[in-house]
Amino acid sequence: MSGTEHDVVIIGGGHHGLTCAAYLARAGVDVCILEGRHEWGGAVYTAEVTAPGFCHNIHANFMEFLHIMPFFADFDLPSLGARTIHPEIQAGMAFRDGRPPVLIYQSDMIEETAKSFAVYSKRDADAWRELKAKANMFELVMAAALYTPPAKWNQSESLPNPMLATQSSFSMFGLDEEMAFKTVRDCIDEYFEADEVRALLYRVAIEFAAPSLEWPGSGYFFLFACLFMPGCWRMMVGGTHRLNGAMVTACIKEGVTMRESSRVKRILLEGGRAAGVELVDGKRVLARRAVVSAVGLKDTLLDMVGAAHLSDYTRRRATHFKEGPDQVLGSVAMALHEPPKYKSARWDPGIDRAWYQVVGYDSAKDVLDYCRAGHCDRVPELPAAAVWVNSLWDATQAPAGKHNLTGWYFFPKASALSEAEWEEVRATYNDKFLRLYGEFAPNMTRENVIADYLHTPLDQERGMRMREGDFGHGAMSLDQVMGLRPFAGVAHHGTEIPGLYLAGSCMHPGGGVTAACGYNAVKVLCQDLELPPVWQNPRRFY
Amino acid sequence: MGMFDQGFDAIIIGAGHNGMALAGYLAKSGWSVAVLERRTEEGGGLCTEEVTEPNFLHNMHSNYHPLVGICPVYDDLELTENGVEYGHPDVQMGSIFADGTALTIHTDMQKTAASFARFSQKDADTWMRLWDEVSGYMDLMVRTLMYAPPIALNDITRALASWGVEDKSEFLTARLRSMSVAEFLDKHFENDRIKAMLAFHAAICAYQPHVKGLAVSYPVLLGKIANWHVCKGGSHRLAHALMRVIVKAGGRVFPQVPVTQIVVEGGRAVGVMTPDGFVRAHKLVASSIDVNQTFETLLEPGLVPERTRREVAEVKYQDASLFNVHVAMNGLPRYKAAAFDPAIDRAWILNIGFESLADFEHEFSLVRSGRLPERPRLNAAVNSLYDPTDAPEGKATGLLRVFAPFALEAGGPEGWGAVARQYGQVALDRWCDLMVDDDARSIVRRFATESPHEISQKMINYRFGDWMVGRIHPKNLLEHRPTDELAEYRTPIPGLYLCGASQHPHGYITFAPGYNALGVIAEDMGIDKWWDRV
Repeated sequence: MSGTEHDVVIIGGGHHGLTCAAYLARAGVDVCILEGRHEWGGAVYTAEVTAPGFCHNIHANFMEFLHIMPFFADFDLPSLGARTIHPEIQAGMAFRDGRPPVLIYQSDMIEETAKSFAVYSKRDADAWRELKAKANMFELVMAAALYTPPAKWNQSESLPNPMLATQSSFSMFGLDEEMAFKTVRDCIDEYFEADEVRALLYRVAIEFAAPSLEWPGSGYFFLFACLFMPGCWRMMVGGTHRLNGAMVTACIKEGVTMRESSRVKRILLEGGRAAGVELVDGKRVLARRAVVSAVGLKDTLLDMVGAAHLSDYTRRRATHFKEGPDQVLGSVAMALHEPPKYKSARWDPGIDRAWYQVVGYDSAKDVLDYCRAGHCDRVPELPAAAVWVNSLWDATQAPAGKHNLTGWYFFPKASALSEAEWEEVRATYNDKFLRLYGEFAPNMTRENVIADYLHTPLDQERGMRMREGDFGHGAMSLDQVMGLRPFAGVAHHGTEIPGLYLAGSCMHPGGGVTAACGYNAVKVLCQDLELPPVWQNPRRFY
Repeated sequence: MGMFDQGFDAIIIGAGHNGMALAGYLAKSGWSVAVLERRTEEGGGLCTEEVTEPNFLHNMHSNYHPLVGICPVYDDLELTENGVEYGHPDVQMGSIFADGTALTIHTDMQKTAASFARFSQKDADTWMRLWDEVSGYMDLMVRTLMYAPPIALNDITRALASWGVEDKSEFLTARLRSMSVAEFLDKHFENDRIKAMLAFHAAICAYQPHVKGLAVSYPVLLGKIANWHVCKGGSHRLAHALMRVIVKAGGRVFPQVPVTQIVVEGGRAVGVMTPDGFVRAHKLVASSIDVNQTFETLLEPGLVPERTRREVAEVKYQDASLFNVHVAMNGLPRYKAAAFDPAIDRAWILNIGFESLADFEHEFSLVRSGRLPERPRLNAAVNSLYDPTDAPEGKATGLLRVFAPFALEAGGPEGWGAVARQYGQVALDRWCDLMVDDDARSIVRRFATESPHEISQKMINYRFGDWMVGRIHPKNLLEHRPTDELAEYRTPIPGLYLCGASQHPHGYITFAPGYNALGVIAEDMGIDKWWDRV
């Protein structure tokens, strides 16, 4: 290792850590980033888990922030190999009895989406026209909310209140402010009446971290997950991991020292200050100015710093930070001879070309029951899923003429089942899903499947160090968002330990490939370390 | 700006270690370079995946790195400074025999001799003389025979003869060119098991012990018998380091950009076609993939001269591929044979089942006929012995390999689908039988298999599952590799070079094909050889 001392040491080479590393290096800082795994990018990950040549994004798939993501523009990632495809039909729900599908198109194709909704309800079509147009108009407001760190908070001040921002968002949309206090389900039910439309929106809502559809105070996620997000979904050519390839290239170009297979065991304190890290093999990497952790909250504070070095307040808040039960996924991957052909396609062939295909539900209630199962520590009896077949747009992701299906089940927390029970799920659940799938798309038989694989929440926890398999590294409930994420005392990225900063998904705005947690940490670090504000871009106000 | 708009001085097809090393040197020479890779990840055979369960790092292809500290590329490209870390096992290799005895090869050759002496004092003495001799000329041999374009076998023989090799060496002789490794071993050693151990070393380097003529390279192989290295954190880490070398020097690596055609204008290679369109190569295109793809798939037939087409069609691949079993384990194995030689528990590369030279002949003839041995002979390695970070704390990652046919007598290449899992269990059982009872029952958590057919689908340049990308046979080595016409890394199409394992010397993590192609390119293009200062 070229020198074991650097200005800044970053723990964790997921996309937030890489973001942080690239900007700080650009600011002239000597940065070393350490990744525990043998591969970079964390959940920005693609693997041939079924059969050779079939690329599956078993963690992140929807790149819905690239058009507003500062890192993407500031480091010209397309020139470094990050190419995207923006499928025209973004999401679709198929039905067992072959009735017309419900489709959501790209953000600016409001009329096409409205036309699909109108099959079931003229009122829903109008609601989409009105609400999606506003969402498009306010997109940069939302972007600024994502890419701005919560304000610094002192224990003597009154607590940050996420509801204030949520209320003003509803009022910006011209909707009743009270809706901010309601559940996501309440919001969907209030503005959309058709059961089929509701069913699709329920499923879409939980895809982007919407805390339980039925938790009060989650109304914000109606705006965010149901209105802003569908329409912006992009896929990476060659698989999600190509975004990582471009980010890594950017880091190397900026002069970042990169070390994979270098798992941090503890953070070294010197006179109460974060002074570096020690790796599991005993090597030390010292930090002259700061240690930035882009891994989980508990991993950083409780394991690497150690509870003994924390104040009572910090120890309590970190210990009781919640993971799951939302955002806990099982990933299904199938290598296919041919892509699914849905019964519903006879009404609208678009369903076969929808990127995100929701399959297995007959009603909105089915989706609710499905979510409730996970909350009660049960694997849903109805083996429904949302899937995507990226090879329909990008032939490089599967062998010639073949197709790569990947999808998500929502499952209970990793700890809800024993290891043996998860193995049982792994051995049986894809078969159950396939039997149900065949009723929606008759060509989805065993014979059409070359090989399949199921990645359980326990795998997510062990492989990606996502506790409980929570892909957001912490629940997105009202008590753990914005200025309260992960808790008020550290929401501004600095911690009570001088020189130690947090930059992972446990921070605002949470999980998903936003690169925001890393970017927001950069803003704070530039100020604290008196670095040039390299994150600023004259074409961007956030 | 698009990533390909400006074109590049050099386009390298294939991001295996040879292509990436060549790209690294060219980028450091000031060229703009792009490496285009068909797969989702760079590295080629430097491929590490968690195929059993999370945090168990399995090297899918390249596992044993033989030329660390010898190959000039490590220093030239500063791979250590760029993050590669190697472990050098003190017990390099071992054999466990059916009767509970064991042989071990140590980095400390006195210990190796002591292990041999328990089977034959005479052989132990012979081994030490042989070792002293090959150690003496190792650097010269490696430098002239590996890290330089091929020297014709006749020239090598003539040089040896005029040097008076028969008087000066007990082991080197002009007759080696017609001998097999087995004949060499029979000539100098008496004990079957020692011969099997030494032949095993050749076999895992793809030098089948009974192929006539391979004895000529065998002394060089023996010189590396104590230089096996494990790449800490997985072999893929070497690919990460190469990527950093290239990008730091201004080059680019683009995975998931399959080259569909090499474009020739006015008789000269000027670029490649990809799904993203044409990418211009201002100076050259270098292909690091196999010659069949290069000349039969990527070039329009009319552009390939008749002789080239004819000779490429004749290129032969190995008749023995590998069947891999990747194992997630509850701990390090302890063998019953440790009662005989405690060092066996620390031996990295294990021979299980080859107990005489006849065993190799039997095994390889079975494989050639497309049949699977009922009791597979194994080559086994537990990297966690020397790199505990490749598995969760207290656990271990294991690899079993069986020489195996690409096409099965029953079912052909696809026939593997029906038998792979079961055959994996058979291989595991044979291994576990050698462990102390507690381990034998409970050490395996999960395993994943990889058949020759799967290997050939994943690494398509490993044609017929041949990880050396061209058989190891006198007709396909030195000035004949891959064909007489193409042996010098140049092709009949100006601007198109060959830099992969199809070229001299062969596959494996030697970097030599890439390095030698670099030398030829430097001469043709007038690049100052900053790496070649005497």
